[in-house]
Amino acid sequence: MTMKALTANRLDDGEAVFWMGGRWVDRFADAQLWPDQDPAAEAAEAHAKNELTQVVDAYLIEVIESDGGYAPLSYRERVRAMGPTNKLEHGKQAEGGAAIEALVHAHGAARSTGRVNLIKRK
Amino acid sequence: MPTLVKWTGADAELAEDPFTAVDDDQPLPRGDVIISLTRFQAEGDQLLSEGRKIGVRVEADEAVEALAYDLPRIAVVALVFPKFRDGRAYTAARLLRERFGYAGQVRAVGDVLREQAHFMIRCGFDAFEPADGSTPADWAHVAARFRHVYQRAADDRAPAFTERQG
Amino acid sequence: MYRYDDIDKAILTDRVAEFREQATRRLAGLITEDQFKPIRLMNGLYLQLHAYMLRIAIPYGALTSAKMRKLAFIARTYDKGYGHFTTRTNLQLHWIKLRDAPDILEHLAEVELHSIQTSGNCIRNLTADPHAGATADEVDDPRVWAEAIRQWSTFHPEFSFLPRKFKIAVTAAETDRAAIKVYDIGLRLHRAPDGELGFEVLVGGGLGRTPYLGSTIRKHLPTRHLLSYLQAILRVYNRAGRRDNAWKARIKILVSSLGAEEFARQVEEEWEKEPRDGVDLPDGELARIRAAFAPQGFETLPAASAAFQAAKAADRAFARFVRHNVKPHKVPGYAIVDVSLKAPGETPGDCSADQMDVVADLAERFSHDEVRVSYEQNLILPHVKLDDVPQVYAELQAAGLATPNIGLISDIIACPGLDYCALANARAIPIAQDIAKRFADPERAEVVGELKIKISGCINACGHHHVGHIGILGVDKKGEEFYQLTLGGSGAEDAEVGKMLGPALPADKVADAVEQLVEVYMRERADGERFLDTFRRTGMAPFKEAVYADAR
Repeated sequence: MTMKALTANRLDDGEAVFWMGGRWVDRFADAQLWPDQDPAAEAAEAHAKNELTQVVDAYLIEVIESDGGYAPLSYRERVRAMGPTNKLEHGKQAEGGAAIEALVHAHGAARSTGRVNLIKRK
Repeated sequence: MPTLVKWTGADAELAEDPFTAVDDDQPLPRGDVIISLTRFQAEGDQLLSEGRKIGVRVEADEAVEALAYDLPRIAVVALVFPKFRDGRAYTAARLLRERFGYAGQVRAVGDVLREQAHFMIRCGFDAFEPADGSTPADWAHVAARFRHVYQRAADDRAPAFTERQG
Repeated sequence: MYRYDDIDKAILTDRVAEFREQATRRLAGLITEDQFKPIRLMNGLYLQLHAYMLRIAIPYGALTSAKMRKLAFIARTYDKGYGHFTTRTNLQLHWIKLRDAPDILEHLAEVELHSIQTSGNCIRNLTADPHAGATADEVDDPRVWAEAIRQWSTFHPEFSFLPRKFKIAVTAAETDRAAIKVYDIGLRLHRAPDGELGFEVLVGGGLGRTPYLGSTIRKHLPTRHLLSYLQAILRVYNRAGRRDNAWKARIKILVSSLGAEEFARQVEEEWEKEPRDGVDLPDGELARIRAAFAPQGFETLPAASAAFQAAKAADRAFARFVRHNVKPHKVPGYAIVDVSLKAPGETPGDCSADQMDVVADLAERFSHDEVRVSYEQNLILPHVKLDDVPQVYAELQAAGLATPNIGLISDIIACPGLDYCALANARAIPIAQDIAKRFADPERAEVVGELKIKISGCINACGHHHVGHIGILGVDKKGEEFYQLTLGGSGAEDAEVGKMLGPALPADKVADAVEQLVEVYMRERADGERFLDTFRRTGMAPFKEAVYADAR
């Protein structure tokens, strides 16, 4: 079952951020999740797109369950939520912990909602 | 009510705009009008004989050369920026000034933003219909940003290589 | 090395002030992102996956120790202690904050560095032969002309909103170390039969979704008319280039659709209409720029160096380093020393701030304070005395910068890819690392010989995959990273676009495939043939068969 989250980049430092109840948080694990089809998701996205000074380029992403937590469905969004795979000490992944592990071990990445081959992050 | 930003050569000021911009399918009001290139080619002679001042609006994909022979009779050439990123009007303006020696008003219309003031003035624009609510002071401020320029354009600024020689 | 005069400095200072004002207005919400984005891009600031990326221009790849130290300072102070040298000889910093950008630009301006026009639909950073001023095979110093074009193209009022980005490269030798055939405009300095110096002008080369090799629209343009001719080309493009579809907006599409002959005719027609005096530089200005690049401080030395020879005899590793990373210099007793940023296991093109300081120091002490960036993402110390090469080698080695692999299989070009870039479909860095690790043994790499692998994480081809002897393009197949291999590309004077090997391979099969391709080459090669030569002789069949044998 896929859920939705709202993400953007913070205007002043470019950090990937996630919507949580009216404010923007740094950690994907803290992101607000909506069930698929929930109109509140679109409403939040519309609100975020009109933001002038907080964030840039807000958009909804699909999220799946993973390892007791959640992970973005697309591999690109996982990289945004974790950090670059060539420097594990950089980016949000440096924090470690269960939430990051859920992202690291997530599989079943897809660009679309279609079911696809598994992909494991090395 | 003055709405046009005009560049005097040294400063920007707000001015009354005596011209009415008219679409192809609109009837012409009295007085000075800005009409499309197509309409000018069809009705221009007639309108000029009526003693009005005529401005011609040139779209980004139209060749400003089409006006070459009529320029002495045209008071305003309005060059359209369909999006501010569409840079064709910069070439059109330079051609008007440098190739055809046009001495009338070259006006920027459409998606016209203050941050382009420096480039526009250098290319020979001397009037602007801003789309971003900017004021003459904004335009003058941006126009004054660079104390030196590297290349010659339609304005009279000496390029760096000339300054270096003298 | 060109040094800014008061006019250059004033222009840069004014630009820094302009951007500070614009960024401040943006952060305060006085200007929208739509309006700010082109401004931001024209100052080299991209929004990427994790943060803003700042692309600092390194005009014609030329740095001094002061500039390199400043880059190290910026990397340490405002980023995560490293930078990435690109295929456009720029430096990218991947962890930049918009609110720091005005201060960063101010710091850069102190050493005449900037990020002007490193993005946006304008004329981008000029690139040139990184061996300029050091190589015997050039007819003139291409940096003179690259600098002239740089100034002319900076804040050009007519050409700052082109249909798409515009890139110009200059070379002055038969051996093309600047890939001019895949540039929007490629300029090749040469002498006409009567001795007159001129440019062969190629237009419409480019990589990306639709790769093209440039067409020669003018065989010989006298050098004094360079800028007026460029103006004619740019003006034809500005007026006629497509603006309806970003994938069809480059000049290569216009040249292709008109045909090179018609395009050339339009350029010549435009060129004839404009007085050239106002555009072409006066002799005095050309002389001033030329003087900045005049060779200085070369000692009169014997062609051979006893110390250098002795070091080679005594140390096999040093001898190997010399074989691959040291090139002949036009001045007797000197050499060009390549600094590899491709240590196996490292990120290709990355350089830590500490390493930048080491290179800066070596440049100052041993290379007439010059260091260059090549489009193959390596650095070059262009003027090292043979006597000093052993010392330089020792210090490079201590800093992890002496991998003896220039031009070899582990000297891989790779874009940042999906690890950093918002445009990417797949990662490029891990693929490069896998391949480089397989061929980390320097003896093995040497036996394989020249083999240029180039990896792009998406169709935009920043990794130049189209012109790799082996090209690798990352594609996204329903969320999984797949890689399409091409063979037989070249970015040199024998430029060619690579041909597809077969269906895309999953990430964990790519290094295996490269090993299989190398095996075929080793089996098939005739005496003295590089991989590229063997491929050109045998064609695709044996290579395809080896990689896709299991498929049957």
